[in-house]
This record gives sequence, structure tokens and C-alpha cells, in this order.
Amino acid sequence: MSAGVGVDLENLWIRFGDFVAVRDANVNINGGDFFSFLGPSGCGKTTILRAVSGFLDPSEGRVLIGGKDMRGIGPNKRPTALIFQNLALFPLMKVWENITFSMEIKGASAAQRRKRADELLDMIALPGQGDKLPSELSGGQRQRVAIARALCAEPDVLLLDEPLSALDLKLRQHMRTELREIQQRVGITFIYITHDQGEALTMSDNIAVMRAGVIDQIADGKTIYNDPNTAFAASFVGENNVFRGKIKQVMGSEALIATNRSGDLVARISTANQGKLKEGDDAMMFIRPEAFAIAADGASGDHFVTARVNHEEFEGNVFNIFTEGDGGKEIKVSLPNLGQSFEDHTGQNITLEYETRNAVLVPAGELAAE
Amino acid sequence: MPGFLKDFFNRNGIGMGTAILGLVLFWTIGLIILPQLSMLDFSFRPNLPPPEIGGPKDVYTLENYKYLIYGPEGGSQSYNAVDLRVFFRTLLAAVCVTIFNLILCYPIAYYLGQSKGSHIRIFAIMLIIPYWINEILRAFALRIIFGETGVLNTLFMGLGIWDTPFDFIRNDIALYAGLGYAYILLMIFPMYNVIESLDGNQIEAARDLGAPWWRIHWRVVIPYAKPGISSGCTMVFMLSAGALAAPQILGGPSSLWFTQLIYQQFNDNNDWPQGAAYAIVLLVTCILFVLAMMRLFKVNMGDIGK
Amino acid sequence: MNNSFLRISIWVYLAIFFLYLLGPLVIMSVTAFNSSAFPRMTPWECLTFQWFGELFQDQRILNGIKNSLIIGAGTVVLSVAMGLAGALMLTQIWPKLRATYYTIIIAPILIPGVVLGISTLVFWDRINRMLGLGADSFLSNGIFLTVIGQSTFIASYCMLVLVARLQRYDIALTEAALDLGATHAQAFCKILLPFMRPAIASAAVLAFLASFENYNTTTFTFGEYPTLTIELAQKVRYGITPAISALAFIIVALTVFFALMNEAKLKRQELVAAARKKATVEELAGKIKLPSFFAGNMAAVLLVVFAVATITVVGTATAYNPGQCIANVKEQKRLEAEQRIQELRKQREEQRKKREAEEAEQGGAQQSAPKPSNNSGFGNVFAPNALGSDAEEESSDTETPPSNNGGFGGAFDPNTLQNDQ
Repeated sequence: MSAGVGVDLENLWIRFGDFVAVRDANVNINGGDFFSFLGPSGCGKTTILRAVSGFLDPSEGRVLIGGKDMRGIGPNKRPTALIFQNLALFPLMKVWENITFSMEIKGASAAQRRKRADELLDMIALPGQGDKLPSELSGGQRQRVAIARALCAEPDVLLLDEPLSALDLKLRQHMRTELREIQQRVGITFIYITHDQGEALTMSDNIAVMRAGVIDQIADGKTIYNDPNTAFAASFVGENNVFRGKIKQVMGSEALIATNRSGDLVARISTANQGKLKEGDDAMMFIRPEAFAIAADGASGDHFVTARVNHEEFEGNVFNIFTEGDGGKEIKVSLPNLGQSFEDHTGQNITLEYETRNAVLVPAGELAAE
Repeated sequence: MPGFLKDFFNRNGIGMGTAILGLVLFWTIGLIILPQLSMLDFSFRPNLPPPEIGGPKDVYTLENYKYLIYGPEGGSQSYNAVDLRVFFRTLLAAVCVTIFNLILCYPIAYYLGQSKGSHIRIFAIMLIIPYWINEILRAFALRIIFGETGVLNTLFMGLGIWDTPFDFIRNDIALYAGLGYAYILLMIFPMYNVIESLDGNQIEAARDLGAPWWRIHWRVVIPYAKPGISSGCTMVFMLSAGALAAPQILGGPSSLWFTQLIYQQFNDNNDWPQGAAYAIVLLVTCILFVLAMMRLFKVNMGDIGK
Repeated sequence: MNNSFLRISIWVYLAIFFLYLLGPLVIMSVTAFNSSAFPRMTPWECLTFQWFGELFQDQRILNGIKNSLIIGAGTVVLSVAMGLAGALMLTQIWPKLRATYYTIIIAPILIPGVVLGISTLVFWDRINRMLGLGADSFLSNGIFLTVIGQSTFIASYCMLVLVARLQRYDIALTEAALDLGATHAQAFCKILLPFMRPAIASAAVLAFLASFENYNTTTFTFGEYPTLTIELAQKVRYGITPAISALAFIIVALTVFFALMNEAKLKRQELVAAARKKATVEELAGKIKLPSFFAGNMAAVLLVVFAVATITVVGTATAYNPGQCIANVKEQKRLEAEQRIQELRKQREEQRKKREAEEAEQGGAQQSAPKPSNNSGFGNVFAPNALGSDAEEESSDTETPPSNNGGFGGAFDPNTLQNDQ
């Protein structure tokens, strides 16, 4: 996959007046990768994308595409193509004219353009729809036209700015698979911006988690999910239960923490923080809802949590139990529905059990907003 | 290069950016600001034959403004009563025309803005069509109607309401009707735009609470429509005060409009600086008057032209 | 009960309003077909087409139209270009400058046209002198000055029209074009301009109409190129003839025609769009047929009615030979005039006798009583033309009671009236 063109951000700062949108970003994106920037809205991920596509000049640092510094090169001269959040299909042009706009610019003949449009329409599974106007297509079809239009320009890097956010859930899930397939077929670098961790996890080779202009972690999806660097990454990607406390004792890669509410618990220190977290530090321990199991009554120890059940709900594939937790937050427990019978615990105390490897310890920090 | 210009050229490209900036600068500076300043400068200079311009006699003077107030030097009167009377009469008449138009147009703007149906568009066309007809021809049409053997006199004398032709022109009725007529659209449209965006539910709610219709207008519609009303009034006032065609065609032989004095200074007396001074007086007075009114009714400049 | 009263008063108000708005235009149009030498509706004399003929032979009017078209074209190009540039600048100007900038470009709408005309004249005259050019240079050319002067404020109107559409433009479209390799100029021509086209068309029409009918500014700048409006104003100020009504009729008819056509077209587009939304692609090709042009399209129906009516009126007027009628009217007028002259003579005789008697009583104390000043009072307004056709004017004025000694001029001069009584 190293055939594609890579993108590097070196010490990238972007400021708007006094506001710092991007703070010292350093990212290496391998050629041919599907790379996602994941973060809540306003975290600066779109700003990074605009800097890569050339609509913004970085205040400091460099953007390199294929090893070449892009400073002073306009968006129309860069080997990138951007898919806009609202798609930005030209409303007055027919679908085939939209798709082959980049060829029109270069002065290609109408016949050549038609031919290329038909090929691309076949690729995006919209054969024979070239003479419609974009407004006559459905949301998913427009989406595909936008992709075809960007691919027609034969870019080395395709940039996608939350292109699925306007679609409904079913279509969004379908388009994830399709995007990934297209990326693997054309083999060029995709840089994808999203606030939806599901999209990032399913499609990406690598993900950068961003918070308020800062990149917290760059890793593949599994690592981000299982071994987050920061409290933000842990709480933003997937559902997670937080336990606050102070580190009582560090034991190699594990530690014992005195939680505010649930006594002393044992946890695994996340890889990036091993050797950095010391006794007495404020820390946060994260356990996923699905990592809990219900223990026998009366069990106790450093991997048991006892809590009162507030309410329960049945979601079909899982059974959710919400118990009183730390700092007003509930602890969510998801038990897979394997056909067993569930008894109602509402109002009772239950004991939950977890395995140490599923409890991740990171330094105390800002959590993602709910 | 300052940040703003750099962004501007980044966004528009060098070629397009230069074209846009060039046109805007030509318009704002070359056509709007410099000519006005030039006229201001000119109004402070004596009226000299072309060879003497720039010569030793070409010095700044208040003579042209003094003339408006005191009249010609050695004149029989201590004040320039004729021109001053014309000036104040013009302002007063423009105010009257504005008020007349406001009263006439508010109901129709409200009606058009708040009712639905395809007939509204036909009404809109009927409103716009007169505005597309030449200003002179509109005045001419009123001249036909208000003439001493015009339709109105024929009608009223036929009905026996009066038995000698009433002189609408000498009594300036034709002039006021013509000025009002000319600017109806400019009064209606700003009001209509605002009233159209007023949520009909607000009126329903007020009616539900038992408010009589005049109170609904006074407390709900008019406060909401204030930007539109002020915008319309400003335009009508400025245009009536600055009108030239209607007074020339519909004005009585003895009653002049201030713009006609300016016209005379330029075309009959060939005294450009004097005309420029009068124009400046007209412009400045109108602007001050409008600003004062906007202050009085608490309206922002930004609302004008919406 | 209250409600129905309100409803009726609304309709009465609407009727009065539109009578005020449209009545003058209708009356003016009708006078174009009356053979009376003075434009009037009553008394109706003869249906005639002669004023149209007279209009088309008037060299000054034709020349005015030519100048108006040239100036209109120049103004359209300049003010749409400046208006578009101004609107683009408004959407991206530095926020702190925005309010000031907006005030500057909107100000020309509020500045009296007279002032704009004068300032243009004074400014370019000065530039001309600074460059050391003569009085016949390009910068003092009437066409150049008029285009410049008119564009100063017409560009503001264009800007307002254009900025309304520009606000709905998605800047991402331009960025998408750039991103796909277009230059800024290409993105402008291929994406922004097509999007702006309807607004540009409206702005161009507006600019042309504003230029065509402008008087206040043009009257200072036209130099040796009087526009139609200037020529009309000259004519109207110094005497009105039905030829002007004929011109007005043409303009009114064209305006109504184009307004209705535009409305019908818009309505049709709406209907088509509605149908397109419902229909599938297969249906689209065959479904919309011509008759549906009228379905639910009031403007289209009105358009056809209006066109037929116009053709009928003009057709009748051209085909109809008013010669006999005019001769009849002339004869009648002659008789009336004779009668009036007789009456007048009698009156004057009586007056003279009375006055002599009075003078004899007062011993000539009231010497300064003005002589019937009908001519001067009359000429004030209608000067050249009216003097020539005095007899006809006088005689056609049958309804005027005889207390008015000059027939016509008295109406303009209260002094005469007083003296008579």
C-alpha cells in the first residue's frame, strides 16, 4: 500500500487572530492509508483539512504532500481533491458535467468527458443517471456523485469532510462499507474528518483523536479503543465508565488506585503512560460497559465494584443496567443477550466484576462532553 | 500587505481580486466620494470665467452660502427671502408628502404582507408597472387629469360640485399628488418586506387576548415594521426634496422647488459655484434632517435599504 | 358585523388606491386616441391614430430614443459590473469596515439625483481641466458624463439586487471548483456567474429602466446628447400634445406586456417544477403540454386578453378613417366658436359700457385695473403651442361658463377672475 502519496504535518499551528485552532500538530500519514481525524465539532479537524487542501495558510509549520512543501501552492495546484461536508455539487450542472468538471477545466472534449463520466457512474453504481440534475438525486446518490467528481480529478490524496453526516443511519452504515471499498480499489490516500467514532473505527487504518486544537493520540482503531492515551480519548471513543481517584501503588504495568467511591481498585496503566504515572497522582480509570459481569453476592476485592441499581433497560442485543457512579455519573453495564433470563435489580445493590486488563488507567484530565 | 488584502487576494485570485477591487474603488472613490468632495470645494469658490480658474482670484470664499441667506450684495432686503422661503417650503412639503405616502401605503403594505393567494402577485405587478413608466410621463398623466379642463374638473363640474374650474396646479395640489404618486412604490416595498416576515401568529395571539385592531397595529405591527417604515420614509423624503421633474411639470408658475433654484443657477445663470453651494445645502440639510428623525424614532442606519 | 365592515372598507381602500395608481396611466393612454389637439378624455371627439404618426415623425423624439438606448446600454454594463463587484466585496470585507463600506455604497440611493448630476459634472470638468483637455474631450462628452452619473446610484440598486442572491450562494461551490483545478477566473465564469444569472438579468433590466427614465441626474450631464426623457421634459414643460400620450401608450403597453409575460413565465416554471417533482423521468418527456400553459396561470390569461385588446384598439384606430368625424367636429367647433365670439362681443360691450359708467363716476381713480391678461397667464404654462392653437383651445372649452372672459387663460390667473366678477 506504500504506493500512494503520503501527507505530513510538521509542527503545524493555525491561528485566527487570538484563537488557536490547531496547536503544534505533527502527523505522518502513509501513502495509501485511510486516515481519520476524529474529534468533537470545533476541535480544529476541518481547519487541518483546509490547510492540507490549500484554502488556508498555516501560521507556522509545514504541510508536505509526497514530501513536497505545499506553502504558496493554491488549492487548484495541489494533488488533492476535497469532498465537502455539504458535497457542494454544482446545482446548475447535470450529473455528468459535475463529475467531469476537472476535465472541462483542462479543455477535454465533450465526448471524452461523457465517456469518462459513464465509467465513473458505473463505478459508483449509478449507470445511466448522468443527465439528471443533482437536485433530482437522493442523498446517497449525491454522495456518490461527489466522490466520483473528486476521483475524476485523479488526485493523489482524497480529503473527506464529514461527508456522511447528512445521511440517515442506515445509509450512513452502508456508505461506510462502500467508501472503504472504493478506497481500496483506487489505492490513494484518504483523509477523513468525522465526529462519529463508529465511522472512524470501521473505515480507518489510523485515527488521530483531536481535542480543542490538540492531537491526543494517533493509532489504529483497536489501540485507540483499548489503550487510550488520555481521559479525553478514553471517554470520546466508545462508551466508557470513569472512576476517579489517586494512585495508591504502582505495580509494574498495573496500579492500585483509591477511588472516591468504590474503594481500592486495580487497573492496567495505558501503554503511553507506563512509567509516567506515579503514586499519589490523580488518575482516572476507565471500564467499558461490556467489560463488566455480575458477580456473586458478597464477593469483594480489588476488581469488584458494589453499587445500587437506578434503573435497567432492554435494548435487544444487550441488557443495560445503570447504577450509581462517580460524581453524579451513572455506571453503565451492558450484558449480552444470550437468551438467559434477566432479573430486575432496580433499587438493589449489586456487585460487578471486571478483569484487570479491561480497566485502563490514564492521568486525570478533561472528559469528552456527553 | 495587510492581512485583509492578503486574504482577499488568496480568496479571489490575483486577476479576479484586482478586477473586483478596481471596480469597487472606482465606484466608491471615483464616483461617490471624490465628486461630492469636489462639489463641496467648488461651492466655496467664486464664479470665474474659465481662464481665471486657478488664478489669483480663485480663493476660498463663503460668498455663495452668504448669498442664500442675505441675498445679493446691496440688495433691497436684509435676507434672501425668496430663496429661503423656497428652501423651507420644499422641506416642509417633502415632509407632508412623506406623511401622506406613509398613511396611504401602510394599509396596502400590511394587506399585501399578511394575505396569501395568487391575487397578491397580480397586485404586486400592478404596483410595479407605474414605476416602470417614465417619471416625466407620470407627471404628464397627472397634468392631464388636473388640468383646468382635465378629467377631475370635468367630473366635478359635471356633478355640479363646483362651477368654475378649480386650479389644481396653482394650488400645488397637482404637485403634491404627483410627488406622492412618484414614490408610492419606494414607500410600500420596504414596509412590505418587513411586514411579510412578521409571524401572523403574533397578530392572532394579540387578537386572542382581546386587543382591538388599532391596538394590534400600534403595539405589534408598527414596532415590528419600524425598520421598513423608516427606510421608506427616508427614501420618499430624500427623493421628494430632491425631485426636479415633478415640480417643473406640475408646479404652479409662482411656486418654485429648491431644486429648481439649483437648476436655474446652473442652466440659466451659469453660476456653477452658486448652484453647487445650494446643492450642498440641500444635501446636508436632508441628511441632518433624516439623521435627526432616525434619532427621534430610534432607528439604525443599517436598517435603511433593506 | 364589524368584520364585514372592515372587509368592505379594505376593498374600497384598495379600489381607491389602485385608481390613484393606475387611473392616470389609463387616462393618459386613452387621450392618445382622441383627435382633440389638447390631450384630454372629455369631450371625446374622434378616434384617431394621427398622434402616433406625428410621434414617429418627430426627429427630436427619435434622436432622444437613440441617445437613451446608447446611454442605457453603457449604464447597464457599468452599473451591473460595479454592483456585482460591490456585492462580492460586501460579502467578504473586513468586518470592522463593513458598516462604513455599506453606508458609502448605499448612500447614492439617498443622495438627490440633482446633487449627483452636479457633482459628476463639476468633478469631471475639473479632471478635464487638470489634464489640460479641451471642452470637446471625451471626459466632457455628454454620453460619458451621463453614463457615469447614472451609474453612481444605479449601481447601488444593482448591488442590492445582486447581494440578495449572493447571500444564498454557497462559497463551497467556488472552493470545490478551485479544488478540482479551476483558476479563480474559471470558477467565477463557470460557477458563480451561472448561479447569479437570474439576478444579473433582473439587475440589468432594472438598471436599463432606471437609466431610461432618469431625469434629475441626466438634466445636468447630457450635454449635446439629450435623452428621450430630457426631450419629453422639454416638450411637457412648454406645452403638451397628444403625441406624448401616444408615446406613453406605447411604453405602458410594452411594460404591461413584458410584466405579464414575465409573470406568466415564472408561473409556468413553478408549475413545471411542481410537475417535475411529482413525475418520474419517464413521464416528464410527454406530460407537460402546451395547454397547461394556461392552467392555473392567471397572468397568462391576462396576457392574452391584454394582447388581443391592444391589437383590437390599435387595429381599429389605424383602420378607422376619422376624416369625416374630424370634419364634423371642426364644423361644430367653428359654429360654437362663432357663437362664443358673438357672446364675448356682447359681454365686452356690456362691460365696456359698465366700466365707462363707473369711470365716469369715479373720475378715473381706478386706472390701474388690469386689462384682461389672458394671454400672459396662459403662456406661463403652455407657451408656444398654446398660443398657436388658441382658437381651437378656446372653442373646445364649451363647458366653461362665460364668466371667464379669456376662455382659457383665466383659469390660471385668479386676478382676471376677480376682475371679471
